Amino acid sequence: MKRFLLLTVLSVFAISLAACSKTDDAKSIAIVTSAAGQNDNGYNESAVDGAKKIKDEFGVDYHVVDTTDVPGALEQLAESGYELIFSLEYNFDALVNGVGGAKSIAEKYPDTTFVVFNDNPNLNEDGTVKHENVISVVFDVHESSYLAGALSVSVLENASTLFDASTYSFADLDVDGRSIGFIGGVQSNGITVFSYGFVEGINRAAADLNVNYDYYTDYSAGFGDPVSGSTISNTMYQNGVNVVYSVAGVVGDGVASKANELDRLAIQVDANKDADQPGSILTSVLKNTEVPVYQITKAFIDEKIGDLDNALSYDLDSGATGMTDLAEIEKMVTASGMTKWNEIKTYIETLATEIADGTVTVTDAQSGETLDTTTLTNVTVK
Amino acid sequence: MDLIANILYDTIYHSTPVILLVIGGVYAYKANVLNIAMEGMLLFGAFSSALMILSTGSLFYGLLFALIVNIFIGLIFSYFGITRKGNVIIVGIAINLLTSALAAFILKVKGMAIINLSEQVDIASLKVNIPLIKDIPFFGDVLSGHPITTYLTFVLIFVLSVVMFRTKFGTYVRVVGENEEAAKSIGIKVNLIKYSAVIVGSLTAALAGYNLAIERLALYTNTMSAGRGFIAIAAIYCGRGKPKLSSIYAIIFGLAKALAINFKLFAGPISGLFEAIPYLVMVIVLLMASYLDNKNSWKRGYPNE
Repeated sequence: MKRFLLLTVLSVFAISLAACSKTDDAKSIAIVTSAAGQNDNGYNESAVDGAKKIKDEFGVDYHVVDTTDVPGALEQLAESGYELIFSLEYNFDALVNGVGGAKSIAEKYPDTTFVVFNDNPNLNEDGTVKHENVISVVFDVHESSYLAGALSVSVLENASTLFDASTYSFADLDVDGRSIGFIGGVQSNGITVFSYGFVEGINRAAADLNVNYDYYTDYSAGFGDPVSGSTISNTMYQNGVNVVYSVAGVVGDGVASKANELDRLAIQVDANKDADQPGSILTSVLKNTEVPVYQITKAFIDEKIGDLDNALSYDLDSGATGMTDLAEIEKMVTASGMTKWNEIKTYIETLATEIADGTVTVTDAQSGETLDTTTLTNVTVK
Repeated sequence: MDLIANILYDTIYHSTPVILLVIGGVYAYKANVLNIAMEGMLLFGAFSSALMILSTGSLFYGLLFALIVNIFIGLIFSYFGITRKGNVIIVGIAINLLTSALAAFILKVKGMAIINLSEQVDIASLKVNIPLIKDIPFFGDVLSGHPITTYLTFVLIFVLSVVMFRTKFGTYVRVVGENEEAAKSIGIKVNLIKYSAVIVGSLTAALAGYNLAIERLALYTNTMSAGRGFIAIAAIYCGRGKPKLSSIYAIIFGLAKALAINFKLFAGPISGLFEAIPYLVMVIVLLMASYLDNKNSWKRGYPNE
């Protein structure tokens, strides 16, 4: 009996080990998701969509890993022969530098290409590339945030034309002052990049409409507690803020819930969350990981991955970042407000073209730029 | 609403779940069972009620389900920690870890990242606007407009305090905690009392979870307990297990949190510092409480009892 048990246990082990490793030499890719998991309706899910598209077109298999141990997963995947691995979590140390005196994962598996997102950790102090087999992908979210900022102002200034008076209970712009808020998880370039773009967008639209806005910020909301998101935004809304943009993980869901409760507006990030609180989320600023996953994998299939730059940045034009199609908020617009609404949409498109052709440059904190507040002629940063 | 009213409203908001954890948790404390699983119990309450409301749409079923699930969790904790005499710290940690892992697993199976109840629950309609009081300037803003569980919480402080000090059950709990052997010798079913004490705590934790996830936010995320269970333990220790005193410490925490949030808005870049206030206050209070408690025994060498 004991021997039988032992055999069973051993065979289970053998099977599970076999399941981990790749069975043949056909090309296949792996995706390690971030903490939100592959069902997040956005950031992770769209990466998986990119891989699906590749599978349909080229028959290349993909493997998705949801894990809390990113370095462990990367190492295991590389060990079992995956040659292209996308790592969506903000966790690079073990991959690029190696932790605890160990060799970095990138150095251990030189034949595997690793793709990381949202930062470029792959640089030496003198600016040279550390590992040729690491590609870092950065989204130009400051540009899409700029559009979100301009949209916020345009919608607020025209709220009475666009919406039925009972739909929202905005703080009166002329009585309580014009203000917009931003809630970030932590004070870092990865977060301020959203805020700087956003405030510049607000400034642009405010200047075009000849009004002045106050800008409230909080860069320390964390990423985990939606309850504090709800109360922080409550404080903002009570102080006359009408739109709060949050870049803080599930804290943002608390903000959106509060916006729904108070009939104000929130802006979400990463995934298309517009339908989470229908009508209360103005838009979501997207990171459409499908685009880089598709492009990089395609280069990998064509064996041209070596030609790619080690630092790729995806701008508005590439479709990898942008706002949602605004379908949810459009449902709230009344028939008589439709003309104005289309005007606003055209205005936003104009801004997007101006960014694309370089007429407008938006501060990019991701690459180390800082916001010059003197350029904010129509916004007071509180 | 002006700033001070806002701060006080938020104080009640943030205190409520902690008070609920405290007034239930003091029973386990008095019965000499260290229940560090309150964090997990809070999350279980939030998760199970959110899950039930998602599938049935009924708030009542959600609350009922949360209470049932938490009785079950209390039983698991008690079985391993009391009957099997396992180390309660380890059992508590196990339950805390189990909660978020189990919830994450179920969410994954259901293909969701968080549970969003905005279609099932209308938070604005859950707020109780008390007639008359809501019209008083200032006080109306602070006291009116909370969900029903919040008002229930403040009633429960007194109810559970009376149960603790004025009923047979409460006396038994305290006797068991103070001297288990003596309790046994007069025929008190020690384990039964300990089980009940833990379950009182898990039931109020279910209410706390319901208050946070359903009444306040209409959404569940895997990290939403955010250390409140541990804050509650600190409050219980500061208040030496007295329901009213411990609740006051819970309110101090809520006040610190509310101050932090409201001042942050005007503080600009250093606002991060304010995030530390609630935890800092807790450490200082714990230090002061234990200093004042033991002052006599240090200075003069008599036991404090």
